Amino acid sequence: MNLPEDEEPLPALDLRLTQENLEDLYEHAPCGYCTCLPDGTLVKLNQTLLGWLGYRREELVARRCLQQLLTVGGRVHYETHCAPLLLLQGQVREMSYLLRRRDGSTLPVLLSAVLLREPDGTPLAVRVSLFDITERRKYEQELLRAKVQAEEQREQLARANEQLRAKNEQLTRINADLDSFVYTASHDLKQPINNMVGLFEELRRSVTFHDAEATQMMCMFEDALGQILATIDGLTQVVQLQRALEQMPAEPVALQPFTEEIIRSLQPLPAGATFELDFAAAPVLRMARPGLHSLLYNLLSNALKYAVPGRPPRVRVRTTRAPHATVLEVQDNGRGIDLQRHSRELFQLFRRFHPEVAGTGMGLYLVNRLARQAGGRVEVDSTVDAGTTFRIFLPREDEASQPPAGLTFASPPSSLSEKGRGSQLTR
Amino acid sequence: MATSALTRNNVSVSGTGTVALVFIHGFGCDQRMWRLVAPAFEDRYRVVLLDLVGAGGSELAAYDPARYASLQAHADDVLEVLQALALPRVVLVGHSVSAMIAVLAAIAAPALVERLVLVAPSPRYLNDAGYVGGFERADIEELLDAMDANYLGWSGAMAPVIMGHPERPELAGELTDSFCRTDPAIARHFARVTFLGDNRADLPRLRTPALILQCAHDVIAPVQVGQYLHRQLPGSELVVLDTSGHCPHLSAPAPTIAAIDHFLGAAPRP
Repeated sequence: MNLPEDEEPLPALDLRLTQENLEDLYEHAPCGYCTCLPDGTLVKLNQTLLGWLGYRREELVARRCLQQLLTVGGRVHYETHCAPLLLLQGQVREMSYLLRRRDGSTLPVLLSAVLLREPDGTPLAVRVSLFDITERRKYEQELLRAKVQAEEQREQLARANEQLRAKNEQLTRINADLDSFVYTASHDLKQPINNMVGLFEELRRSVTFHDAEATQMMCMFEDALGQILATIDGLTQVVQLQRALEQMPAEPVALQPFTEEIIRSLQPLPAGATFELDFAAAPVLRMARPGLHSLLYNLLSNALKYAVPGRPPRVRVRTTRAPHATVLEVQDNGRGIDLQRHSRELFQLFRRFHPEVAGTGMGLYLVNRLARQAGGRVEVDSTVDAGTTFRIFLPREDEASQPPAGLTFASPPSSLSEKGRGSQLTR
Repeated sequence: MATSALTRNNVSVSGTGTVALVFIHGFGCDQRMWRLVAPAFEDRYRVVLLDLVGAGGSELAAYDPARYASLQAHADDVLEVLQALALPRVVLVGHSVSAMIAVLAAIAAPALVERLVLVAPSPRYLNDAGYVGGFERADIEELLDAMDANYLGWSGAMAPVIMGHPERPELAGELTDSFCRTDPAIARHFARVTFLGDNRADLPRLRTPALILQCAHDVIAPVQVGQYLHRQLPGSELVVLDTSGHCPHLSAPAPTIAAIDHFLGAAPRP
């Protein structure tokens, strides 16, 4: 930066300050100075450095070399790293070492050095300056410790992650095996059961019973057969739906016509049944159509099926917006479920809570599976004899990051945790 | 092999001659350590320089601590380089820990390696019963601490330079300062392999003629170690160079060159 010509001269200073004795500056500078031969033999040291070390000048000059003032580890580092660098590039900067004092204690220093050469390039001497970094070194060591700790934790985390991944893979495999088992089992059972149905029909036509109770027993047998058939059909349906969904893309579904269509399929409706639909908050859901159909169908048919006798079923279906989800809500005024007792088994296959009503125990299992496959979850509120509300939380389209289908099912069977009176969450 | 040995070990070749001098740097630096010595041989020899995996311009990603837990892996690397270059006659010149790497390579492929030049060698750095190596185990731990203290600023500042960022030419300037620097985790591991290793049992298996270049005042490889090696390697030559420190190829390049010349039977230089 050039100063203007007419810049005022420097203000008069007390010249005693500027005429400082150079020799005194060298000896008592706030840092250590020394000069060595190229091999490190000490030639000259300032008083500051001698004071730090606790040696007298004559103990060191021409008798010891710079490396010998370092700890053994530092010396190895100096010989293998610092000395080659000095000879190769003529200088080193900010090397961190420990000086070994005469009394054996150590002093952390930063060492910078330059190599002086003769006109022909032969190394002549090394000028070294040393700074006391006692406080800084403590801080650095804390940093190093923290770094080591962080690395250990990262390794632990990586190990845990790897275990999780392996477990997940295993579960995915088991799940696929189970699906395939269920499919095979239901398929293989179907044939003999159908045979039994045929044989039973034949039996009823050709055989006459004399025992009065026999007719009743025949009815019970027929019921049982029907139950087995329904269960097997249900199982087949679960697996087939699952397989179909894996190939079915999510698509926008307009809820109003879609739900009306399902309600029509539920005809004939019980006497006095009413439906209230309100999809103003989210008129369109993005989901695989067959999945959404099965989910809504099961919830709506349940709402009718588990109505309180003598009380006309009133079913409200609506959507709401939650912070990170669109919520599809189905509320009924039916029998309700005792969540205190049944919360853990709510979504398990074949679990039934109202044995007096015919059913296969497949509906809620399917609902939960479908919700999870769509990246969502199910919440349930229920009061016995007053009604039940199912809330399906689905990821919002604008922030949806749907997990791959295979992984969704790798999670262990739903476990519910009790949370207040009758309020249930699945995670 | 995923990459060629020549890329992996950052191999450079210069000079002309029927015999190749292959220089292998020691702990703490890279092939640039030979700058004051190697060019002197280019008029009569093929001169091959390389970086050990983990050092200098080698492929750091190739440094698998499990593989490089012993010096043998580095020796195998050197042999792969020799084969990749199809060199008919080879003299290995190894400094410090690489003197032992050269010994291991010569034991594994005696037909490939004609002679060895061992610069400031040591088969074992730790003292043992009846053996003076120069160090106790605690000293080596101290060295690791000293390395840690000097690598504080590495990870953030140096990593991008070392990893190579051709799209950031402004880093090239910093590279000169990165001289002899390497990934601290690798350096730490290599320091352990180097200073805690013991290759004394390999020595009797060596059949290759060897020159031992011993520094008169070397704290890393003291004179007793050079004498021990000389006894253990029948037919070896021991030359004590009147210099201090562990790097005669830097502190006394002319006597180092002369000793190698003499060993190789060359006519004296003008």
